[in-house]
Amino acid sequence: MTPTAQHLLNACIMTLATPPRPEDAGVFAAARLRLVALTNRLVAMETADAAAVRVRENAALRTILIEAGPAHGMSATEFAADGDYSLAALDAANAGLRRLLTRLHEAAEQADDRALDRRILKLYREMARWRELVLPPVKPAS
Amino acid sequence: MNAPAGEALGTRLEHYLTKLWNADVKVRDLARIPGGASRETYRFDADVNGKPSGMILRRDPLGSLIETNRRIEFLAYKSFHGIVPVPEPLALEAEGGALERPFFIMSRIDGGQVPSVLNLDPYGHNARATGEELFRILGRIARCDPATLPLRDCLKAPAPQNCWRTALDEWQAVIERDERHPQPIVRAAMRRLRRNAPPPPAKISVVHGDYRSGNFMHDGNGKILGVLDWEMVHLGDAVEDLAWCFDPLWNHFDDARVASTISEQEAIAIWECESGLSVDPAALKWWKLFAAVKGCAIWTTSGKEFVEGGHDLVLGFAGTYTARRHDRIMADLLERLVEEGWS
Repeated sequence: MTPTAQHLLNACIMTLATPPRPEDAGVFAAARLRLVALTNRLVAMETADAAAVRVRENAALRTILIEAGPAHGMSATEFAADGDYSLAALDAANAGLRRLLTRLHEAAEQADDRALDRRILKLYREMARWRELVLPPVKPAS
Repeated sequence: MNAPAGEALGTRLEHYLTKLWNADVKVRDLARIPGGASRETYRFDADVNGKPSGMILRRDPLGSLIETNRRIEFLAYKSFHGIVPVPEPLALEAEGGALERPFFIMSRIDGGQVPSVLNLDPYGHNARATGEELFRILGRIARCDPATLPLRDCLKAPAPQNCWRTALDEWQAVIERDERHPQPIVRAAMRRLRRNAPPPPAKISVVHGDYRSGNFMHDGNGKILGVLDWEMVHLGDAVEDLAWCFDPLWNHFDDARVASTISEQEAIAIWECESGLSVDPAALKWWKLFAAVKGCAIWTTSGKEFVEGGHDLVLGFAGTYTARRHDRIMADLLERLVEEGWS
């Protein structure tokens, strides 16, 4: 996925380390600090289960590709492994698996394979939920 | 080229306005304010021949969330000033020599609030009044004949039957250009949109392009003081704006009310009454999924710009939190539409 936690934290450092221009003081500077804080919270949530989310998604993608792929001309040898389980390796495997899922979905749509279509749509919903980062809403001061 | 320091920016602005208006202009209290990632936004006071006025400067940033044309945005303010509440546009500098980058200046509306998407129940007891006015204003925008507006000179009108295709082609191209990690959900949504084209609109309307909670200023008592951020204005199907405003991303975590104001049915009734148009449910469904695709395109670009073009945290936040939230909204909607019979 992009941006990575490292990208986000580097940007927080750059934001805090860059001397503000005189016209940036006040409301804008305060908003920047809030954004740094929110971004740190996002990064904390992302890194807490980053590997687990990727391993789970990659496993789910491999399962559907192994079960449904051969009927639509895909070979199990195409399905990338998770390597050394570093985030970079998991993301690289994920990119390959996601491309194959798109191919499989297109094939299912063209073949009017409704059962597989529904199964893939359900998987999309689950993938999006696994990846979502939920920030709590803010109640404005009354 | 480096941006001028604060003192210098105010001084340059003062020189520019003095020459432009052939008047004695003093610029005071120049301060940057949060205003999204597509423009740098500054507030300042200008004394023009001794008369004080509050103003806003919108200057192109070094990198941008979306590539937009400041002339079009300026003409949008000019077109709708006096029709709906918008700041009065005052000056446009397309070349940007005076302040290093293109910019425009407009009047400032004081005393208003603009909620964040993370705010819960931002309109409180005035949610109903705010929502009623929000959709009356949107209806008035849709009612306008684009041929009578200054915008007519710079916007191309698609044929009614091509509105959906023009919009989808534009944003699909953005995704294909800027995607750095495969996104199967939006790919599936785009295929589905092409297979389930909406009915054409009865007329071509001005589409604000980013009409939603967070892009208008309200007074805290149910009155909308200004509709802002017209940088994505274009001509097309007015239902596009309605669907974008209805997107759950902008509902402040309130699934029962659009923009955390009133119900969708109430919003549609008000909009229909004010615009003189009717909302085809099939068109609304199509434009709702399109809204999620368009959002995905914007957040894809913001993520790419953040990683490759600089360290603007607004872009990083949009490319992470907002992108993933919109992905979930899109996946839910896509599954629901197929359950309802989309091919």
